[in-house]
Amino acid sequence: MQAYFPMTSKFGLTHIVQYILFVALQVLLMDSLVLYSTAFCFIYVAFLLFLPIYTNRTWILLLGFAVGFSVDIFYDTMGIHAGASVLLAYLRAPVLNLLTPRDGYDTNDTVNIHLMGWRWFLAYAFILILIHHTFVFFMEVFTLREAWFTLVKIITSTLYTTVGMLIIQLLFFSVKRANR
Amino acid sequence: MRNLFAFIYRFRAFLLFVLLEILCVYMVVRYNTYQGAAFFNSASTYVGRVLEVQSSVTDYFRLATINSMLARDNAAMREELLRQKLAEQVDSTAELSGMLYAASDSAMAYPYILHASRVINNSIRRTNNYLTLSIGSADGIKPGMGVIAANGVVGRIKTVSEHYATVTSLLHSQMLISAKIKKDNTMGTIKWTGGDYRKAMLDYIPLHIKPVVGDTIVTSGFATVFPEGIVVGTISAVEQEPDRSFYTIEVELSVDFAQLSYVYVVESPLREERENLENNAGILPHDQ
Repeated sequence: MQAYFPMTSKFGLTHIVQYILFVALQVLLMDSLVLYSTAFCFIYVAFLLFLPIYTNRTWILLLGFAVGFSVDIFYDTMGIHAGASVLLAYLRAPVLNLLTPRDGYDTNDTVNIHLMGWRWFLAYAFILILIHHTFVFFMEVFTLREAWFTLVKIITSTLYTTVGMLIIQLLFFSVKRANR
Repeated sequence: MRNLFAFIYRFRAFLLFVLLEILCVYMVVRYNTYQGAAFFNSASTYVGRVLEVQSSVTDYFRLATINSMLARDNAAMREELLRQKLAEQVDSTAELSGMLYAASDSAMAYPYILHASRVINNSIRRTNNYLTLSIGSADGIKPGMGVIAANGVVGRIKTVSEHYATVTSLLHSQMLISAKIKKDNTMGTIKWTGGDYRKAMLDYIPLHIKPVVGDTIVTSGFATVFPEGIVVGTISAVEQEPDRSFYTIEVELSVDFAQLSYVYVVESPLREERENLENNAGILPHDQ
């Protein structure tokens, strides 16, 4: 994979804003939007998923740690979200490779549902969110006791987060931007 | 040597990944058994400030409920006060105080001190739940102190910063509270098993006792964290499993954790002395 990280002002600014927005959304709003005590929405992973496709792998690991750690501070769950986000950041490149379109990615491809298509986006988001949530919920209980309840939590939460991410994509990632 | 650097450079992503994961697991393990000053958690100054602003907005919508809760609390206090006054009128030992009566129990001379505090962050649906209070070391709060609400036990202080403190809630998978059945003083341990935030388990009640649904569970006071007799909840189900030598008792908690807005931190001036004595005597610290 090509190591490409445009440290232009555009990258820096939009992604710093996204970072702050997603962490704020997570701790201020999503923290209280838990469905039936089983489905949790960890929308902050969208920050990692929406990074440009050719982001440097070491950078993305550090960003994953940073965003997970920020959430950990608010949630009093030292290390759990940071660990899960680092895992997600590491596995993002292999999953992207797996889902490469027939003619490869363009250099200016971004993670955008209008640009990449429904099936590509859903597969990409679902796989990575599932990995992330599995790590979070099993680290939280630390045992295989009541594994069924944990599994139900993982599945429902993954669906919940995926739907949340879909809504964000459809609302804020316009078709026009994709065509540019 | 050059090969080594080339190797590290080639696998830098993987090595960084392993390094960060080890760091995370280390943090998880360390934080679980950690008590003390706050660095990176919801009690740290900036995070505390964000949470305080957030709760000042959300609290606004709950003002009516909070008000009626405080009024009810006040009514209960006044009732208690009136009862005390009546008892005082009947009691004539006050006249003897200077002559014959000598205080026999020194523990009576040092009551517990309560610090009122607002709850600025609270969770009830996770496996390990914590609260954040807008009170800190500047107000004399120390790790390990008990936290109670008007109607029962809430948890225990975990970390403190200057103006904020985090509390390990009763709704935490590793929180144990030493409790007893009020009517016959049978000791047991309260433990939350996850799931419903209104229910906990009372364990280690031997089979020769006859617990009944509706019995009140209070703190034992044997550990130094909580005063004796703080309500924990009432028994809602008693079961006797064939292969266990203890009852399986379900307790309905008296505190509604979803509605917590104000709590009291319990300071016990004699706690240090008592803990030192017990440690020196080789008695291992009891569960909370």
